[in-house]
Amino acid sequence: MPKYLSLPLILLLSGCLSLACCQYLIYFYAPAEATMGLIQKIFYIHLPLAWWSLFSFFLVFLGSVLYLLKRAPAADRLCAAAAETGVLLSGLALLTGMLWARKSWGVWWTWDPRLTTTLIMWFIYAGYLVLRGLNLPRQRKGLVCAVVGVVAFLDVPLVFVSARIWRSIHPAVLGAQDGGLEPEMKFTVTACAVAFGLFWAGLVWLRKCQLDLRARMCASAGAAPQNGHCRKTTPHPR
Amino acid sequence: MLRMTLAVLRKDMTLTLLRGSGLAQVLLLGLLLVFVFSLSQGVGESLSARNAAAVFWLSSAFCQVLIFNQLYALEEINNSRLGLLLCPAPIQAVWLGKAVAGIVLLLLAQCIFLPATIVFLGQNLVGPLKPALAILFLTDTGMCALGSLLGALAQGQTTRESLLSIVLFPLLAPLLLAGTGIGAQVFGSVDPDGPGAWLGLAAAFDAIFLGAGLLLFAFLYTGDE
Repeated sequence: MPKYLSLPLILLLSGCLSLACCQYLIYFYAPAEATMGLIQKIFYIHLPLAWWSLFSFFLVFLGSVLYLLKRAPAADRLCAAAAETGVLLSGLALLTGMLWARKSWGVWWTWDPRLTTTLIMWFIYAGYLVLRGLNLPRQRKGLVCAVVGVVAFLDVPLVFVSARIWRSIHPAVLGAQDGGLEPEMKFTVTACAVAFGLFWAGLVWLRKCQLDLRARMCASAGAAPQNGHCRKTTPHPR
Repeated sequence: MLRMTLAVLRKDMTLTLLRGSGLAQVLLLGLLLVFVFSLSQGVGESLSARNAAAVFWLSSAFCQVLIFNQLYALEEINNSRLGLLLCPAPIQAVWLGKAVAGIVLLLLAQCIFLPATIVFLGQNLVGPLKPALAILFLTDTGMCALGSLLGALAQGQTTRESLLSIVLFPLLAPLLLAGTGIGAQVFGSVDPDGPGAWLGLAAAFDAIFLGAGLLLFAFLYTGDE
Protein backbone atom coordinates (compact mmCIF):
# COMPACT_ATOMS: atom_id res chain seq x y z
CA MET A 1 0.00 0.00 0.00
CA PRO A 2 1.43 3.46 -0.88
CA LYS A 3 2.69 5.37 2.19
CA TYR A 4 0.53 8.47 1.64
CA LEU A 5 -2.63 6.35 1.72
CA SER A 6 -1.89 4.71 5.06
CA LEU A 7 -2.93 7.58 7.35
CA PRO A 8 -6.34 8.26 5.71
CA LEU A 9 -7.01 4.52 5.62
CA ILE A 10 -6.11 4.20 9.33
CA LEU A 11 -8.46 7.11 10.10
CA LEU A 12 -11.23 5.56 8.03
CA LEU A 13 -10.83 2.14 9.63
CA SER A 14 -10.66 3.57 13.16
CA GLY A 15 -13.80 5.57 12.33
CA CYS A 16 -15.56 2.37 11.20
CA LEU A 17 -14.46 0.51 14.34
CA SER A 18 -15.52 3.34 16.66
CA LEU A 19 -18.87 3.54 14.91
CA ALA A 20 -19.31 -0.18 15.47
CA CYS A 21 -18.50 0.31 19.20
CA CYS A 22 -20.96 3.21 19.30
CA GLN A 23 -23.74 0.77 18.41
CA TYR A 24 -23.29 -0.76 21.88
CA LEU A 25 -23.59 2.69 23.49
CA ILE A 26 -26.66 3.52 21.38
CA TYR A 27 -28.61 0.32 22.03
CA PHE A 28 -27.43 -0.82 25.49
CA TYR A 29 -25.91 2.15 27.37
CA ALA A 30 -28.13 5.11 26.45
CA PRO A 31 -31.63 4.87 27.96
CA ALA A 32 -34.67 4.72 25.69
CA GLU A 33 -36.45 8.08 25.39
CA ALA A 34 -39.74 8.13 27.36
CA THR A 35 -42.14 9.29 24.64
CA MET A 36 -40.44 8.42 21.34
CA GLY A 37 -38.98 5.05 22.32
CA LEU A 38 -36.67 3.19 19.95
CA ILE A 39 -36.96 5.65 17.04
CA GLN A 40 -35.11 8.27 19.12
CA LYS A 41 -31.95 6.15 18.63
CA ILE A 42 -31.77 7.56 15.10
CA PHE A 43 -30.77 10.85 16.73
CA TYR A 44 -27.27 9.44 17.51
CA ILE A 45 -26.67 9.00 13.77
CA HIS A 46 -28.65 12.00 12.55
CA LEU A 47 -26.88 14.66 14.64
CA PRO A 48 -23.26 13.70 13.75
CA LEU A 49 -24.25 13.43 10.07
CA ALA A 50 -25.66 16.97 10.17
CA TRP A 51 -22.68 18.38 12.10
CA TRP A 52 -19.99 16.85 9.92
CA SER A 53 -21.80 17.79 6.72
CA LEU A 54 -21.81 21.40 7.93
CA PHE A 55 -18.12 21.08 8.75
CA SER A 56 -17.49 19.73 5.21
CA PHE A 57 -19.13 22.83 3.78
CA PHE A 58 -17.00 25.01 6.06
CA LEU A 59 -13.95 23.19 4.68
CA VAL A 60 -15.15 23.95 1.13
CA PHE A 61 -15.31 27.62 2.16
CA LEU A 62 -11.79 27.57 3.63
CA GLY A 63 -10.39 25.70 0.61
CA SER A 64 -12.12 28.14 -1.75
CA VAL A 65 -10.64 31.16 0.03
CA LEU A 66 -7.22 29.49 -0.09
CA TYR A 67 -7.61 28.77 -3.81
CA LEU A 68 -8.62 32.36 -4.55
CA LEU A 69 -5.60 33.67 -2.61
CA LYS A 70 -2.91 31.17 -3.65
CA ARG A 71 -4.35 29.42 -6.75
CA ALA A 72 -3.16 26.11 -5.28
CA PRO A 73 -4.67 23.16 -7.21
CA ALA A 74 -4.48 21.07 -4.00
CA ALA A 75 -6.94 23.47 -2.33
CA ASP A 76 -9.32 22.98 -5.25
CA ARG A 77 -9.09 19.20 -4.88
CA LEU A 78 -9.70 19.53 -1.12
CA CYS A 79 -12.88 21.51 -1.91
CA ALA A 80 -14.01 18.78 -4.33
CA ALA A 81 -13.44 16.03 -1.74
CA ALA A 82 -15.15 17.99 1.07
CA ALA A 83 -18.13 18.98 -1.10
CA GLU A 84 -18.74 15.39 -2.25
CA THR A 85 -18.56 14.13 1.34
CA GLY A 86 -20.74 17.01 2.58
CA VAL A 87 -23.46 16.34 0.01
CA LEU A 88 -23.42 12.63 0.90
CA LEU A 89 -23.60 13.27 4.66
CA SER A 90 -26.24 16.00 4.43
CA GLY A 91 -28.33 13.74 2.16
CA LEU A 92 -28.13 10.99 4.79
CA ALA A 93 -28.92 13.53 7.55
CA LEU A 94 -32.05 14.54 5.61
CA LEU A 95 -33.11 10.91 5.15
CA THR A 96 -32.62 10.01 8.82
CA GLY A 97 -34.34 13.28 9.81
CA MET A 98 -37.35 12.39 7.68
CA LEU A 99 -37.64 8.95 9.30
CA TRP A 100 -37.48 10.55 12.74
CA ALA A 101 -39.95 13.30 11.82
CA ARG A 102 -42.47 10.77 10.53
CA LYS A 103 -42.48 8.94 13.86
CA SER A 104 -42.24 11.88 16.25
CA TRP A 105 -44.19 14.65 14.43
CA GLY A 106 -46.38 12.46 12.17
CA VAL A 107 -45.06 14.05 8.94
CA TRP A 108 -42.21 13.20 6.58
CA TRP A 109 -41.24 16.83 6.18
CA THR A 110 -41.81 20.09 7.99
CA TRP A 111 -40.48 23.60 7.35
CA ASP A 112 -38.19 23.76 10.33
CA PRO A 113 -35.08 26.03 10.29
CA ARG A 114 -32.52 23.27 10.67
CA LEU A 115 -34.22 20.91 8.21
CA THR A 116 -34.75 23.71 5.72
CA THR A 117 -31.17 24.91 6.09
CA THR A 118 -29.85 21.38 5.53
CA LEU A 119 -32.07 20.89 2.46
CA ILE A 120 -31.12 24.24 0.92
CA MET A 121 -27.45 23.56 1.64
CA TRP A 122 -27.86 20.19 -0.05
CA PHE A 123 -29.32 21.93 -3.11
CA ILE A 124 -26.56 24.57 -3.14
CA TYR A 125 -23.71 22.07 -2.88
CA ALA A 126 -25.37 19.63 -5.30
CA GLY A 127 -25.36 22.58 -7.76
CA TYR A 128 -21.72 23.14 -6.83
CA LEU A 129 -20.96 19.51 -7.76
CA VAL A 130 -22.78 20.04 -11.09
CA LEU A 131 -20.42 22.99 -11.67
CA ARG A 132 -17.45 20.78 -10.88
CA GLY A 133 -18.61 18.34 -13.56
CA LEU A 134 -18.61 21.01 -16.28
CA ASN A 135 -16.28 20.73 -19.21
CA LEU A 136 -14.18 23.80 -18.41
CA PRO A 137 -10.42 24.45 -18.41
CA ARG A 138 -8.97 23.43 -15.01
CA GLN A 139 -8.03 26.91 -13.83
CA ARG A 140 -11.32 28.50 -14.92
CA LYS A 141 -13.27 25.71 -13.24
CA GLY A 142 -11.22 26.12 -10.05
CA LEU A 143 -11.97 29.86 -9.94
CA VAL A 144 -15.68 29.47 -10.67
CA CYS A 145 -16.05 26.74 -8.03
CA ALA A 146 -14.06 28.73 -5.47
CA VAL A 147 -16.32 31.77 -5.91
CA VAL A 148 -19.44 29.60 -5.55
CA GLY A 149 -17.86 27.86 -2.54
CA VAL A 150 -17.43 31.22 -0.78
CA VAL A 151 -20.84 32.58 -1.76
CA ALA A 152 -22.59 29.34 -0.73
CA PHE A 153 -21.17 29.40 2.79
CA LEU A 154 -22.01 33.10 3.24
CA ASP A 155 -25.62 32.16 2.52
CA VAL A 156 -25.90 29.50 5.25
CA PRO A 157 -26.64 31.80 8.27
CA LEU A 158 -29.15 33.78 6.19
CA VAL A 159 -30.96 30.59 5.20
CA PHE A 160 -31.10 29.53 8.86
CA VAL A 161 -32.45 32.89 10.08
CA SER A 162 -35.01 33.09 7.27
CA ALA A 163 -36.31 29.58 8.00
CA ARG A 164 -36.54 30.44 11.73
CA ILE A 165 -38.64 33.53 11.00
CA TRP A 166 -40.82 31.39 8.69
CA ARG A 167 -41.65 28.79 11.42
CA SER A 168 -39.96 26.27 13.75
CA ILE A 169 -40.79 23.06 15.68
CA HIS A 170 -37.31 21.48 15.98
CA PRO A 171 -36.32 20.40 19.54
CA ALA A 172 -33.35 22.31 21.04
CA VAL A 173 -31.81 19.20 22.60
CA LEU A 174 -28.33 20.41 23.43
CA GLY A 175 -28.97 24.05 24.27
CA ALA A 176 -32.01 23.38 26.47
CA GLN A 177 -31.68 24.42 30.12
CA ASP A 178 -34.40 22.08 31.43
CA GLY A 179 -35.35 18.72 30.04
CA GLY A 180 -32.37 18.44 27.64
CA LEU A 181 -30.42 15.17 27.32
CA GLU A 182 -29.68 12.61 30.06
CA PRO A 183 -25.91 12.35 30.87
CA GLU A 184 -25.77 8.87 29.26
CA MET A 185 -27.42 10.22 26.14
CA LYS A 186 -25.00 13.17 26.05
CA PHE A 187 -22.03 10.82 26.37
CA THR A 188 -23.37 8.55 23.60
CA VAL A 189 -24.04 11.41 21.19
CA THR A 190 -20.55 12.85 21.87
CA ALA A 191 -18.95 9.44 21.24
CA CYS A 192 -20.94 9.08 18.01
CA ALA A 193 -19.90 12.57 16.89
CA VAL A 194 -16.21 11.79 17.53
CA ALA A 195 -16.48 8.41 15.74
CA PHE A 196 -18.19 10.07 12.79
CA GLY A 197 -15.45 12.72 12.85
CA LEU A 198 -12.76 10.06 12.41
CA PHE A 199 -14.76 8.41 9.63
CA TRP A 200 -15.38 11.78 7.96
CA ALA A 201 -11.72 12.83 8.14
CA GLY A 202 -10.63 9.50 6.65
CA LEU A 203 -13.22 9.74 3.87
CA VAL A 204 -12.31 13.32 2.88
CA TRP A 205 -8.59 12.62 3.06
CA LEU A 206 -8.88 9.40 1.03
CA ARG A 207 -10.95 11.14 -1.65
CA LYS A 208 -8.43 14.00 -1.73
CA CYS A 209 -5.59 11.45 -2.19
CA GLN A 210 -7.54 9.85 -5.02
CA LEU A 211 -7.97 13.23 -6.75
CA ASP A 212 -4.27 14.03 -6.17
CA LEU A 213 -3.30 10.73 -7.77
CA ARG A 214 -5.51 11.40 -10.77
CA ALA A 215 -4.00 14.86 -11.19
CA ARG A 216 -0.47 13.41 -11.00
CA MET A 217 -1.34 10.65 -13.46
CA CYS A 218 -2.79 13.16 -15.90
CA ALA A 219 0.18 15.50 -15.46
CA SER A 220 2.62 12.66 -16.23
CA ALA A 221 0.60 11.85 -19.36
CA GLY A 222 0.67 15.53 -20.39
CA ALA A 223 -3.10 15.85 -20.01
CA ALA A 224 -5.53 17.75 -17.79
CA PRO A 225 -7.88 15.95 -15.35
CA GLN A 226 -11.45 16.29 -16.63
CA ASN A 227 -14.53 14.63 -15.11
CA GLY A 228 -12.89 11.38 -14.07
CA HIS A 229 -10.51 11.02 -17.01
CA CYS A 230 -7.49 12.77 -18.49
CA ARG A 231 -8.07 15.13 -21.40
CA LYS A 232 -5.15 15.68 -23.76
CA THR A 233 -4.22 19.35 -23.89
CA THR A 234 -3.55 20.71 -27.35
CA PRO A 235 -0.93 23.42 -27.73
CA HIS A 236 -2.23 26.89 -28.60
CA PRO A 237 -1.89 27.73 -32.32
CA ARG A 238 0.59 30.55 -32.79
CA MET B 1 -15.64 53.73 -11.32
CA LEU B 2 -18.98 55.55 -11.28
CA ARG B 3 -18.51 56.82 -14.83
CA MET B 4 -17.75 53.29 -16.09
CA THR B 5 -20.75 51.94 -14.13
CA LEU B 6 -23.05 54.46 -15.80
CA ALA B 7 -21.53 53.73 -19.20
CA VAL B 8 -22.14 49.97 -18.79
CA LEU B 9 -25.68 50.67 -17.54
CA ARG B 10 -26.43 52.95 -20.49
CA LYS B 11 -24.96 50.47 -22.99
CA ASP B 12 -26.88 47.49 -21.55
CA MET B 13 -30.19 49.35 -21.32
CA THR B 14 -29.86 50.68 -24.87
CA LEU B 15 -28.95 47.28 -26.30
CA THR B 16 -31.63 45.43 -24.35
CA LEU B 17 -34.55 47.80 -24.82
CA LEU B 18 -33.84 48.86 -28.41
CA ARG B 19 -33.21 45.34 -29.73
CA GLY B 20 -35.99 43.40 -31.43
CA SER B 21 -36.76 41.00 -28.58
CA GLY B 22 -35.93 43.32 -25.64
CA LEU B 23 -37.84 42.32 -22.54
CA ALA B 24 -40.47 40.32 -24.46
CA GLN B 25 -39.07 36.87 -23.57
CA VAL B 26 -38.72 37.83 -19.89
CA LEU B 27 -42.24 39.24 -19.65
CA LEU B 28 -43.80 36.30 -21.48
CA LEU B 29 -42.14 33.75 -19.18
CA GLY B 30 -43.26 35.61 -16.04
CA LEU B 31 -46.82 36.06 -17.26
CA LEU B 32 -46.97 32.42 -18.31
CA LEU B 33 -45.92 31.34 -14.82
CA VAL B 34 -48.61 33.50 -13.18
CA PHE B 35 -51.20 32.15 -15.63
CA VAL B 36 -50.18 28.49 -15.09
CA PHE B 37 -50.47 28.90 -11.31
CA SER B 38 -53.89 30.51 -11.75
CA LEU B 39 -55.09 27.20 -13.24
CA SER B 40 -54.77 25.61 -9.78
CA GLN B 41 -57.75 27.69 -8.57
CA GLY B 42 -61.25 26.30 -8.84
CA VAL B 43 -64.14 28.42 -10.18
CA GLY B 44 -64.80 31.30 -7.77
CA GLU B 45 -61.73 30.49 -5.66
CA SER B 46 -58.63 32.60 -5.23
CA LEU B 47 -55.11 31.64 -4.21
CA SER B 48 -54.08 32.40 -0.61
CA ALA B 49 -52.15 35.65 -0.11
CA ARG B 50 -48.93 33.77 0.69
CA ASN B 51 -49.20 31.52 -2.38
CA ALA B 52 -49.87 34.52 -4.62
CA ALA B 53 -46.84 36.35 -3.22
CA ALA B 54 -44.70 33.23 -3.77
CA VAL B 55 -45.86 33.03 -7.41
CA PHE B 56 -45.01 36.72 -7.91
CA TRP B 57 -41.46 36.23 -6.57
CA LEU B 58 -41.00 32.96 -8.46
CA SER B 59 -41.84 34.76 -11.71
CA SER B 60 -39.40 37.50 -10.75
CA ALA B 61 -36.65 34.95 -9.98
CA PHE B 62 -37.03 33.19 -13.34
CA CYS B 63 -37.01 36.55 -15.09
CA GLN B 64 -33.88 37.57 -13.26
CA VAL B 65 -32.08 34.49 -14.62
CA LEU B 66 -33.12 35.40 -18.16
CA ILE B 67 -32.22 39.07 -17.65
CA PHE B 68 -28.66 38.32 -16.49
CA ASN B 69 -28.12 35.71 -19.20
CA GLN B 70 -29.22 38.33 -21.70
CA LEU B 71 -27.03 41.05 -20.16
CA TYR B 72 -23.90 38.90 -20.13
CA ALA B 73 -24.67 37.46 -23.58
CA LEU B 74 -24.40 40.98 -25.04
CA GLU B 75 -20.60 40.85 -24.77
CA GLU B 76 -20.46 37.19 -25.80
CA ILE B 77 -22.43 37.77 -29.01
CA ASN B 78 -20.37 40.77 -29.99
CA ASN B 79 -17.14 39.24 -28.65
CA SER B 80 -16.45 42.44 -26.77
CA ARG B 81 -15.70 41.11 -23.28
CA LEU B 82 -12.01 41.80 -23.77
CA GLY B 83 -12.86 45.41 -24.60
CA LEU B 84 -14.60 45.81 -21.23
CA LEU B 85 -11.70 44.10 -19.46
CA LEU B 86 -9.21 46.47 -21.07
CA CYS B 87 -11.11 49.62 -19.97
CA PRO B 88 -9.01 51.74 -17.59
CA ALA B 89 -11.46 51.37 -14.69
CA PRO B 90 -12.02 48.84 -11.90
CA ILE B 91 -13.66 45.69 -13.26
CA GLN B 92 -16.21 45.90 -10.43
CA ALA B 93 -17.83 48.71 -12.43
CA VAL B 94 -19.00 46.08 -14.94
CA TRP B 95 -20.60 44.08 -12.10
CA LEU B 96 -22.26 47.19 -10.65
CA GLY B 97 -23.41 48.49 -14.05
CA LYS B 98 -24.98 45.15 -14.93
CA ALA B 99 -26.54 44.84 -11.45
CA VAL B 100 -28.18 48.29 -11.78
CA ALA B 101 -29.34 47.45 -15.32
CA GLY B 102 -30.77 44.20 -13.92
CA ILE B 103 -32.65 46.08 -11.17
CA VAL B 104 -34.17 48.51 -13.69
CA LEU B 105 -35.23 45.70 -16.05
CA LEU B 106 -36.58 43.58 -13.20
CA LEU B 107 -38.61 46.52 -11.85
CA LEU B 108 -40.02 47.11 -15.34
CA ALA B 109 -41.01 43.43 -15.55
CA GLN B 110 -42.55 43.53 -12.06
CA CYS B 111 -44.71 46.51 -13.14
CA ILE B 112 -46.43 43.94 -15.40
CA PHE B 113 -46.31 40.95 -13.01
CA LEU B 114 -47.97 42.75 -10.09
CA PRO B 115 -51.21 43.61 -11.94
CA ALA B 116 -51.13 40.10 -13.48
CA THR B 117 -50.90 38.56 -9.98
CA ILE B 118 -53.79 40.73 -8.77
CA VAL B 119 -55.96 39.89 -11.79
CA PHE B 120 -55.17 36.20 -12.39
CA LEU B 121 -54.72 35.11 -8.77
CA GLY B 122 -57.61 37.17 -7.32
CA GLN B 123 -55.63 39.37 -4.91
CA ASN B 124 -56.10 42.87 -3.48
CA LEU B 125 -53.48 45.36 -2.30
CA VAL B 126 -54.72 45.90 1.24
CA GLY B 127 -51.53 45.80 3.34
CA PRO B 128 -49.09 48.58 4.27
CA LEU B 129 -47.45 50.17 1.23
CA LYS B 130 -44.15 51.42 2.72
CA PRO B 131 -42.78 47.98 3.76
CA ALA B 132 -44.00 46.64 0.41
CA LEU B 133 -41.94 49.18 -1.52
CA ALA B 134 -38.98 48.69 0.82
CA ILE B 135 -38.97 44.89 0.39
CA LEU B 136 -39.41 45.25 -3.38
CA PHE B 137 -36.31 47.44 -3.53
CA LEU B 138 -34.28 45.34 -1.06
CA THR B 139 -35.18 42.00 -2.66
CA ASP B 140 -34.50 43.26 -6.18
CA THR B 141 -31.16 44.70 -5.04
CA GLY B 142 -30.09 41.39 -3.44
CA MET B 143 -31.29 39.33 -6.39
CA CYS B 144 -29.44 41.54 -8.86
CA ALA B 145 -26.23 41.76 -6.77
CA LEU B 146 -26.02 37.96 -6.71
CA GLY B 147 -27.37 37.58 -10.26
CA SER B 148 -24.76 39.96 -11.63
CA LEU B 149 -21.98 38.09 -9.81
CA LEU B 150 -23.07 34.62 -10.87
CA GLY B 151 -24.17 35.72 -14.35
CA ALA B 152 -20.48 36.03 -15.14
CA LEU B 153 -20.01 32.44 -14.00
CA ALA B 154 -22.10 31.00 -16.80
CA GLN B 155 -20.44 33.01 -19.57
CA GLY B 156 -19.63 30.90 -22.62
CA GLN B 157 -21.63 27.89 -21.39
CA THR B 158 -24.19 26.39 -23.76
CA THR B 159 -26.50 25.42 -20.90
CA ARG B 160 -26.14 28.70 -19.03
CA GLU B 161 -29.85 29.24 -18.28
CA SER B 162 -30.22 25.92 -16.46
CA LEU B 163 -26.79 26.22 -14.87
CA LEU B 164 -27.53 29.67 -13.48
CA SER B 165 -30.94 28.53 -12.18
CA ILE B 166 -29.42 25.54 -10.38
CA VAL B 167 -26.78 27.64 -8.65
CA LEU B 168 -28.79 30.80 -8.06
CA PHE B 169 -32.20 29.64 -6.84
CA PRO B 170 -31.10 27.90 -3.62
CA LEU B 171 -28.86 30.86 -2.79
CA LEU B 172 -31.80 33.23 -3.20
CA ALA B 173 -34.01 31.22 -0.81
CA PRO B 174 -33.73 33.66 2.17
CA LEU B 175 -34.52 36.63 -0.04
CA LEU B 176 -37.47 34.89 -1.69
CA LEU B 177 -38.83 33.94 1.75
CA ALA B 178 -38.53 37.58 2.86
CA GLY B 179 -40.26 38.80 -0.31
CA THR B 180 -43.02 36.22 0.11
CA GLY B 181 -43.43 36.99 3.83
CA ILE B 182 -44.05 40.71 3.25
CA GLY B 183 -45.85 40.13 -0.07
CA ALA B 184 -48.38 37.98 1.80
CA GLN B 185 -49.01 40.84 4.25
CA VAL B 186 -49.51 43.25 1.35
CA PHE B 187 -52.09 40.87 -0.16
CA GLY B 188 -53.99 40.79 3.14
CA SER B 189 -52.43 38.01 5.23
CA VAL B 190 -52.12 38.94 8.92
CA ASP B 191 -48.71 38.47 10.56
CA PRO B 192 -48.47 39.44 14.26
CA ASP B 193 -44.69 39.91 13.97
CA GLY B 194 -45.02 42.51 11.21
CA PRO B 195 -42.53 43.15 8.41
CA GLY B 196 -39.54 44.24 10.57
CA ALA B 197 -37.69 40.89 10.76
CA TRP B 198 -38.02 40.26 7.02
CA LEU B 199 -36.80 43.75 6.15
CA GLY B 200 -33.77 43.23 8.42
CA LEU B 201 -33.00 39.88 6.81
CA ALA B 202 -33.27 41.30 3.28
CA ALA B 203 -31.01 44.24 4.23
CA ALA B 204 -28.44 41.80 5.71
CA PHE B 205 -28.56 39.70 2.53
CA ASP B 206 -27.99 42.81 0.40
CA ALA B 207 -25.06 43.96 2.54
CA ILE B 208 -23.35 40.52 2.43
CA PHE B 209 -23.78 39.94 -1.28
CA LEU B 210 -23.00 43.50 -2.36
CA GLY B 211 -19.72 43.07 -0.47
CA ALA B 212 -19.16 39.58 -1.91
CA GLY B 213 -19.88 40.87 -5.42
CA LEU B 214 -17.33 43.68 -5.08
CA LEU B 215 -14.68 41.27 -3.78
CA LEU B 216 -15.29 38.23 -5.97
CA PHE B 217 -16.37 39.56 -9.37
CA ALA B 218 -12.80 40.16 -10.54
CA PHE B 219 -12.08 36.43 -10.15
CA LEU B 220 -15.01 35.43 -12.38
CA TYR B 221 -14.98 38.05 -15.11
CA THR B 222 -11.75 37.34 -16.92
CA GLY B 223 -10.52 36.87 -20.45
CA ASP B 224 -10.60 33.06 -20.10
CA GLU B 225 -12.98 31.17 -22.37
